[in-house]
Amino acid sequence: MAILQIREAIREAIREEMVRDERVFLMGEEVGHYEGAYKCSQGLLDQFGPKRIIDTPITETGFAGVGIGAAMCGLRPIIEFMTFNFSAVAFDQIINNAAKIHHMTGGQFSCPIVFRGPNAAAHMLGSTHSQAFDAFYAHIPGLKVVAVATPYDAKGLLKAAIRDPNPVIFFEAELMYSVRGEVPDEEYVLEIGKADIKRAGSDVTLLTWGQAVPTSLRAAELAAEPSDGKRPLSVEVIDMLTLRPLDYAAVLASVRKTNRAVVAYHGWPHGGVGAELSDHIQRHAFDWLDAPVLRVCYEDIPMSYAENLEHLTIPQPEQILAALRQVAYV
Amino acid sequence: METPEQDAVTVPETLKVAGKDETLHAYREMLRIRRFEETAARAYTRGKISGFLHLYIGQEAIAVGTRMAIESGDRIVTTYRDHGFALAQGCEPNACMAEMFGKKPGLVGGVGGSMHFFDRARGMWGGYAIIGNHVPVAAGHAFASKYTGDGRVTLCVLGDGAVGIGPTHEGMTLAGLWDLPIVFIVENNRYSMGTPLERTLPVEDITLRAPGYGMACDRFTVSDPFQVRDRIGAAVKRAREENQPTLIEVLTYRFRGHSMSDPAKYRGKGELEAHRARDPMEMTGRALRDIHGMTEADLDALDEAIIAEMDGAEQFADEAPQPDPEHRFRNIIIETTEENA
Amino acid sequence: MATVVELPRLSDTMEEGVVAKWRVQVGDKVKRGQVIAEIETDKATMEFESFDAGTVLALVAVEGQTLALGAAIAVLGQPGEDANAALAARSSVTVLPAPTPASSSAPAPAPAPVVAPKPVEASAPAPSPTPAPVEPTHIDPNERRIAASPLARRLVREHGLDLAAITGTGPHARIVKADVDRALAEGTGKLAAPGPGPAAAQAADEADAWGRPYVARPSEVIKPSQMRKTIARRMTQAKQDIPHYYLTIAIDMDAAAKLRAEINLAIDSNKVSFNDMIIKAVARSLRDLPDMNTVMVDGQVVRHGDVHVGVAVALDDGLVVPVVRYADQKSLEAIALEVRTLGKRAKAKQLKPNEMSGSTFSVSNLGMFGIDTFSAVINPGESGILAVGAIEPRAVVVDGQLAIRKCMNVTLSGDHRVNDGARGAVWLARVKTYLETPIKLFSDPTPVGSPAAPG
Repeated sequence: MAILQIREAIREAIREEMVRDERVFLMGEEVGHYEGAYKCSQGLLDQFGPKRIIDTPITETGFAGVGIGAAMCGLRPIIEFMTFNFSAVAFDQIINNAAKIHHMTGGQFSCPIVFRGPNAAAHMLGSTHSQAFDAFYAHIPGLKVVAVATPYDAKGLLKAAIRDPNPVIFFEAELMYSVRGEVPDEEYVLEIGKADIKRAGSDVTLLTWGQAVPTSLRAAELAAEPSDGKRPLSVEVIDMLTLRPLDYAAVLASVRKTNRAVVAYHGWPHGGVGAELSDHIQRHAFDWLDAPVLRVCYEDIPMSYAENLEHLTIPQPEQILAALRQVAYV
Repeated sequence: METPEQDAVTVPETLKVAGKDETLHAYREMLRIRRFEETAARAYTRGKISGFLHLYIGQEAIAVGTRMAIESGDRIVTTYRDHGFALAQGCEPNACMAEMFGKKPGLVGGVGGSMHFFDRARGMWGGYAIIGNHVPVAAGHAFASKYTGDGRVTLCVLGDGAVGIGPTHEGMTLAGLWDLPIVFIVENNRYSMGTPLERTLPVEDITLRAPGYGMACDRFTVSDPFQVRDRIGAAVKRAREENQPTLIEVLTYRFRGHSMSDPAKYRGKGELEAHRARDPMEMTGRALRDIHGMTEADLDALDEAIIAEMDGAEQFADEAPQPDPEHRFRNIIIETTEENA
Repeated sequence: MATVVELPRLSDTMEEGVVAKWRVQVGDKVKRGQVIAEIETDKATMEFESFDAGTVLALVAVEGQTLALGAAIAVLGQPGEDANAALAARSSVTVLPAPTPASSSAPAPAPAPVVAPKPVEASAPAPSPTPAPVEPTHIDPNERRIAASPLARRLVREHGLDLAAITGTGPHARIVKADVDRALAEGTGKLAAPGPGPAAAQAADEADAWGRPYVARPSEVIKPSQMRKTIARRMTQAKQDIPHYYLTIAIDMDAAAKLRAEINLAIDSNKVSFNDMIIKAVARSLRDLPDMNTVMVDGQVVRHGDVHVGVAVALDDGLVVPVVRYADQKSLEAIALEVRTLGKRAKAKQLKPNEMSGSTFSVSNLGMFGIDTFSAVINPGESGILAVGAIEPRAVVVDGQLAIRKCMNVTLSGDHRVNDGARGAVWLARVKTYLETPIKLFSDPTPVGSPAAPG
C-alpha cells in the first residue's frame, strides 16, 4: 500500500485510464509543458505526448466546448479547470450542452466527459477565486458531481468518473493536493453515488465533503474528548463524496440511528447542497429527528482576502463542535 | 456588402453549367424546405406549433448546396434555424414536423422542438439554440476527427448575429490554433434578429477575422445551390485533405421575419422585393424551364407533389401521439455498465 | 366557503369546554339543528346542535380536549372543500359578548389557540402520478403548543406516554429524546388512568416497632374535570372577593314536620321535602327583606328584583346549582316538583344553561350526611347562601319544661360588603319564623316592592 498525495493519486488515476483507454485525453490550461498549475499532470506529457496531453489558451468556454464536442464523438475528455472559479465562463457549455445533450437529442448522443479542478476557498485568494461551485452544478439534472478529500477516494472516484458515460464534475481542493493517504497498489475503482463513513459514531450524524472533511473529523475528535468538561459525543462522520446523486440511503440509515444531523461544508448556505440534505432528512426521517438539522458552512457573504476575515467566513472545527453539541443538547 | 441589382436577374453561370438531373434535384430539395416551412408556419398560426419558429425561407440554397458539397458521415452543426439543413440532410419531414408538434415520433422524441433538431444517422448534429455555444462543440467534433483520423469534416453554421459572442471567438481560435478539419459557414442574412448588421458589427466583412484565427476564408453572395456547393466544397476539401479550417461568409437573405412573431418592419422599402427577384430557388426553377426544357406545368406538378408531402407531414404530426409521460425521465443519466465504461 | 364550527358558549359562566363526544364523523351530512356533539361545560354535558348545514369536512377538536370558547372544533362545507383553508382563513377568534352583571367578576375568556392548517408536504419531484390526498384529520392545538422533537413525539406515541406530563429540557423547553428516556426510566409521564389499581406501592422509609416497613404509595396527578376546575376557580374567587360573615341559628322543625306529613298525605307524588320548605321560607324572607337580596357589582350595590333560589346538588365529581326561578311566587308543591326534576337532570348532567344561571341566593343542605352545622361559600353573583344541617331530636326547654323537639341548625353566609350581621340576623329570624310557623308559607306572597311582615 503506497502513501500518495492527492495530486499523485489524481495523476495515477489519469495515467492508468489513459493507458487503459486510447480515447481518454487531458486538456486544459498549463496541463502539458507546465505539468499542471498544481502538478497533477506531472510527467504525463512525456508519457503520452502532446496529442493526448493538450495545453490550451485561456479559453474555458472554448476548450470546455471542444471537450463536449469530442465526447459526443465518443472520446473521453478530461477537462482541467485551473480552478472551478474559471468554470463560470464555461458554465453555459456545461449546463446547456454537457448536461443536456443526451436528453435533448432523444438519447442519440452522450457526453462522457470529466471536468475537474480545485474548488472552493484556498488561502487568501479573495472573493472571485474562493467560491464553492457545489450547489451550482449539483443543481443540474444530467450532471454527476463528485468531491474528494483523500488520495484513496480521489483515485478511485476519478477513475470511475473517467469511465462514466455521463458528464461528471470532479471537485478537488487546492489546499488538499498535498494531503497524504494510503492508496492500494492494485487497481480499484470506486462507485460514484456512494458515501463513505469516515468515522463511526452513535450520537450525531455529521455529513460533510471536500475540504470540510478534515475539519469535520477534527470536530468529531473534539466532541469525543472534550477539554471543557462537557458530555462527550460519539459523532458519525460521513463523507458524501458524491453531491449528485446524493447517497440518501447512507444518510437516512445514520440519521435514523443517531436522531440528529449536522451538515458541514464549504459553500454558501442559501440554496446549498446542505439545504438539500436538510430537506431530505426532514422529509424522510422526520419521526427520527430529536433536533433540527443544522448546517455549518460559509457565512452568507463574499469571501474577503484578509486572513482574519477569511478565517471567520470558513467553517472551523469549533463551529462544527458547537453545532454538534447544539443538536445533542449538550 | 454586395447589393442585389433588380435588373440583373439573369440565370447565374454556375446554374447554366449544371446538368438537368442535379438541377432538378436541387430545385426539389429547396422547394421541399420552403413548402415544409410554409406548412409549419400555417400550423403555427393554427396553434399546432408553439415556442419559437424560425424560418429559413430564402436561405434554402445554402443548406442544399452544402449538402451537395459534403460526404455521408460529415457533420452539420447549426443554429436554431435548423429545418433547412435537417431536410437537406435527409431528415424525414414527418419526424421533423412531429418534433415541432411536440409528438412522440418527433426527430428527438418531442423533447427538443423546432430549435433542437438532431439526427445523427443523417449527419444532422444539431440544432443549437444558445447563440454561438455550438461553435466550440463543433470544433470539438473536428478535434475528435483529427484525434481519431476518421476523415470526417465538420461544418459549423452560424448567423451573422453569432460572430460577436465569446464562444464563437474561442471556438474559432482553437480551430485555427489546432488546425482542425472544420468549415465555419456564417449565414449573413443581414439581420441579427431585428438589428441590421451595421449596428451589430464593427467591420461588416466578417471574413476579415479569418486571418486572426489563422484560417483561410471565402465570401460570396448566394446565387444558386451549385455556387454554394462549389465554394463550400473547396473549403471541405481543404479541411479533409489538409486539416485546415476555413471561415466562409455567405451573404443571403431571409424572406420572413426572424421568427413567426416578427413582422420584419425593420427592412428598407423595396428591399425584400429586390431580394425576392434574385431568389436562388426561383433562379433554379428558371434554369429548369429556360435551359432544361421543363414546362411550367412540370414545375407545378412537382410543387403539388411536394405540397401534398408536406400536408401529409402535418397530418402525420397532428395525428401522432404525444410522448409517454414517463418519457420525461428518460435520457438524463446513462446507467454505467461494463460496456460503456 | 366551508364553515368553521366554533366551541359554543353554553352557559354564562362557561369559559372553556370539552367536546365530550362527537355524534358525527368526517363525511357525514349535517342538517341545521342536528346534534353533532356533546359538549362538557363547567356545569354539564350538553348536546350541541349545529347552526349550519353541510358535510363534515374535519373534526378539529379531539374528544376530551379542553378548548377555549370560540375555538374551532369542526369544519362543515361542501364535499371536497378544503377544511384547512377555512381554518387558515380564521384570522382570529370570535370575541365573546360582555358577561352579564351577575358574572361580571369572572375573568375574560382566554383567547382560543389559533388552529394552524395541517402542513402539507411539498410534492417531491418523484414521478408519482397523483399527489397523496390531504386527509382531513383531528388537529390538536394543545399538542401543538407543546414543543417536542419529532422523535420525542414518536417515542411518546409508541410508549403510550403523555407529552403534557413530560418536562422538556431542550431549547424553549422542547421535549427531546432524553426527556422521554428519563420519563420511561422513572416511570413518569404516563397518560392519566393508567389501568386498574392504584399506583405501585412500595416499602416506606419508616418501619414499625418490629422493623416492618410501612407501605408508601406515590401521589397521583388527576386531571380535573371541567366542573372541578370551575368550582375551584369560582370558590377561590368567592373567598378572595367576598368578606363572608356567618350567623347560625337553631330552628324548631316540629311544626314543619307535622305540616309536611299532612301535605304529603294529601298528595300522591312529588312529596314535599324539608328542603323544599326551607327554599320556600328563604324565598319568602328575601321577598320580605329585599336588602338581603343584594350583591356588589363593580363597586355598586345591586338589589336583585327577583328571587331565584339556587339549590346545590351534589354529584360524584362536584356539584351543580340548578335554579328555582321566582321561588317567592311559587307554591310549595310547585317548588317540590321543580327541585326534584332539576335534581334528576343534574345527576344526569342534562341541565340546560338557563336552568343553572341567574340564581340570587342559594341553599345548601348537608343534613342527609349527618352534618348539624356548617358554613357555605357564597357563589359569586349571589347575595348569600344558607347552609342547612340535619334535623334531629334535641332536648330543648319549652315554656320552662324540658322537651324533645325536632331541631335544625342553619347558617347564613352573608356578604359583608353589602350588608352586616344585624341585617343578616333579622333576615335569619324571618326564615326561622316561617319554618316554625309554616302555615305562613301559604299566605299570599307580598306584592312586589312592598315589603311587609308575614301575616
